[in-house]
Amino acid sequence: MPSFGGWAGKILRVDLSTRRTWTEGTIERYQDYLGGTGIGYKVLWDEVPGDTRPFDPANKIIFAVGPLAGTGAPCNGRTAITTLWPTCWPKPLVATGHMGGQFAAELKYAGYDAIVVEGKADSPVWLSIADQRVEIVDARPLWGQGIRRTTIEISQMLGPEAAVAAIGQAGENLVPMSVVMNSYSHSAGGVGAVMGSKNLKAIGVRGTGSLRVAGPKEEWERLVKLHLSMLGANNQHVVPDSPQPWAEYYDPGSRWKAAPGRKWGAAAPAIDTGTCDPHNLNRIAYRSNNAAFYLGDVAWKYTVRGNGCTGCPIRCHTMIKVPSAAAKYGISEMGQNTCGGLNFGRSFFRTFPDGPRGETAVEACMVGMHLADDLGLWCNYSQLQRDFQKLYYDGIMRSQVGAEEFKSYSWNKYEKGDPSFLFELLPRIAMKQGELGTAVGLGTGYMLQRWSLSEEGWKRDANLQYWKLGHPKHHANEDAGQCGVIINTQYNRDAQCHSHANFTRNGLPIAVQKRLAAEIWGSPDAVDPVKAYTPMNPSKARMAKWALLRKELHDSLSLCNWMGPWVASPLKERGYKGDDSIESLLYSLVTGDRKSREEMDLTAERIFLLHRALTIRGMGTREMRARHDSIPEWVFEDPEGKAAFTKGTNRMDRDDIALAMDLFYEEMSWDKATGAPTLAAYQRAGLAHVARELGEKGLLP
Amino acid sequence: MTPVQDGGRDGEYPQWEAASQAAIQVIRNRSGQGQLATEEDILDELVALNLLEGTPGDMPSALTEILSTAAEGNGDLKEIQDQEGRKRYYSSQLMTETYARLLVRKEGDPLRLIAEIVRENSSLYPRPFPLGAFERSPFDMTRDEILQCLNQMASLEAYRDIARTTTSAGNAFLYSTSYLDPDYAATLAEWIDVGQYDNP
Repeated sequence: MPSFGGWAGKILRVDLSTRRTWTEGTIERYQDYLGGTGIGYKVLWDEVPGDTRPFDPANKIIFAVGPLAGTGAPCNGRTAITTLWPTCWPKPLVATGHMGGQFAAELKYAGYDAIVVEGKADSPVWLSIADQRVEIVDARPLWGQGIRRTTIEISQMLGPEAAVAAIGQAGENLVPMSVVMNSYSHSAGGVGAVMGSKNLKAIGVRGTGSLRVAGPKEEWERLVKLHLSMLGANNQHVVPDSPQPWAEYYDPGSRWKAAPGRKWGAAAPAIDTGTCDPHNLNRIAYRSNNAAFYLGDVAWKYTVRGNGCTGCPIRCHTMIKVPSAAAKYGISEMGQNTCGGLNFGRSFFRTFPDGPRGETAVEACMVGMHLADDLGLWCNYSQLQRDFQKLYYDGIMRSQVGAEEFKSYSWNKYEKGDPSFLFELLPRIAMKQGELGTAVGLGTGYMLQRWSLSEEGWKRDANLQYWKLGHPKHHANEDAGQCGVIINTQYNRDAQCHSHANFTRNGLPIAVQKRLAAEIWGSPDAVDPVKAYTPMNPSKARMAKWALLRKELHDSLSLCNWMGPWVASPLKERGYKGDDSIESLLYSLVTGDRKSREEMDLTAERIFLLHRALTIRGMGTREMRARHDSIPEWVFEDPEGKAAFTKGTNRMDRDDIALAMDLFYEEMSWDKATGAPTLAAYQRAGLAHVARELGEKGLLP
Repeated sequence: MTPVQDGGRDGEYPQWEAASQAAIQVIRNRSGQGQLATEEDILDELVALNLLEGTPGDMPSALTEILSTAAEGNGDLKEIQDQEGRKRYYSSQLMTETYARLLVRKEGDPLRLIAEIVRENSSLYPRPFPLGAFERSPFDMTRDEILQCLNQMASLEAYRDIARTTTSAGNAFLYSTSYLDPDYAATLAEWIDVGQYDNP
């Protein structure tokens, strides 16, 4: 058996029903699936029957990292969590969540590539992993506590360097809209209740070991420096948001916020972020400020610094200190998160007294983080909040929730944008109290079903951003036209694919983007200017395939798809080109298993195909085009009636999208009529055994 | 003005070489500070270092020769002229032409500065440019100054292509109708100011 670097070499298996733990080798069974989602899909395919439901003991939840986790590879801190998804409606199917923080590295240093949990404990437990010492520990003293208290208690047992992934009351109460969270603010949405259903309160990991990088040290250091040199700011935005001496281009919408005079005002002393020339690799962490990106200039005075995952210089979780929030609401003055987590509280409100980017909005963020990140609530990429607004302002809530319960909420506070309203709402969702709390905690699909509301209404309303199966879009036509639409048809929750959007939003002029696109996807016509979409062509299908495969690759290697791929860079001397081979270079040097970019993409295709096969088996149909790869009506509409292919609209054309799906299936070597992978596609990817099982069930085209 | 030790350009006359090196340093130092170097800046330094004699107010042909010498083998040294034809210098190692052009415009007519930034954004990316960005570095204009400029521009033929659109968040964006039609500009402004945050 060859010896590889990167992988720890062991997978921890945990049966909570019998309270037995054991290990198996990673390489023997999972090398061809890398790690992360690859291991997750493989376990589900091999071991979990298609008719299993999320809260059944037979469902498994797989926490897996990839061979790059815990190495010095930039942006490597991700843990993929794969399971049958509680909010996937009407039938639960396979899906994944991802959390950053310190968990991935700590798990690797403890000596594991994954933890596979099955069964159900007869009373609350938490899993203690201290290197090779694994124990299932009584969690009854922790049950009913929030994530923060749980983390503190377990850290006191395992040590302050331990990484603790815990659920809050939402997960305990089997609220489908729940998370698991580690390292204060790093959550994976949708899986909290699966842990809760197993009476698994938390996993605490302490790893004092190390991992091996197979390649020579000097070569590894050169490669890491190359990768660092090509990093932009958060979401791989490669130009600053204001003109800077070193920058040929700039983009006011960029997440690259650093500039002279913009200070982390709550640091002591305050720190000027400065010009951040991209050649200065020691200043990458100053580039991004997601609090300022979302909340505007008001956030600078509250910013302490950026925080983030192990081995990532981007630091996209902004740490803010807001004394007024502590004084007004009796909460901690410190908060930390990014994107949907940062905006959890703010996104509920349609308006604030001082506008969308004033002090009250900041306070709403603080209250939201204080509550949601402790109760362990999930926003479903802010679908929870969009649904809530619609249900309230359209009068649906009033008619569905009993009069007495409806009156028990301070709706005047809600309408005025008073963040204290969240204290009334969020705990009720986490505790499943009342009809409102119960319904919205189910997730959109089951909420619609419970309240006999039409999914078609959700599919026609562009403001809701709803896509299908109970989940929203995630970087669809607004970001990349037909390519974005294709990507959003493929998963069983929101796509969580950023490969394409990281490129289209990188801030470079369209001519530069087109030049790069020609090199990467074979034609400058793979990309269009924003809101000036042109008809479908084969290069857009290539881009969609590339985006999907790279997402799976990142999720399996433990690279952050919120940052990669790195096909554009901030370097003028490189013509702003990045390196489309970075993933294969890192993998080859870390593991010693030399693979080209094309070979890595084939591995990614294998992993993606397994997801497709799991979905087909779970749905019991091969008619994926008709029954799974659906597109909501709002994609084909424009509120002002603008026609598709005119400037100023994201409206897609039905025939053009039909062509887009044809070209995508062709690019994937799938059957066009059904959208199902063919026998040849499975065989090419080394999944003949999968094809055999599907064939026996009549699920091959 | 003459070099302290009169002579020609070759190494036989070290003061000439020293003057060139000093000029290079002035240009690069200023570029490193995010600024352009003027001829006065260079002359002041040369006089201070005793590498030139005479009154700095003159523009001697020796300076042209010194700068020509400096440029040899230092391809990063660039010259840019302002609206009046006055020369400015920068190092492309430390400053891009884009930024140098912005600084030159900033020294001159603010109406032209605004117009050219807006036109550049409208044609190159293409997108409208937020009015509020002119209040921040490196433009550093006050709101009143910006609005006064826009009022003036509205009545001048040379700027009739500069237009304004306001997003649903109440923020104004400027664009050039030479490159963006009003509807497209409005949609792009809405995306930049509102849409991309609603679609994170």
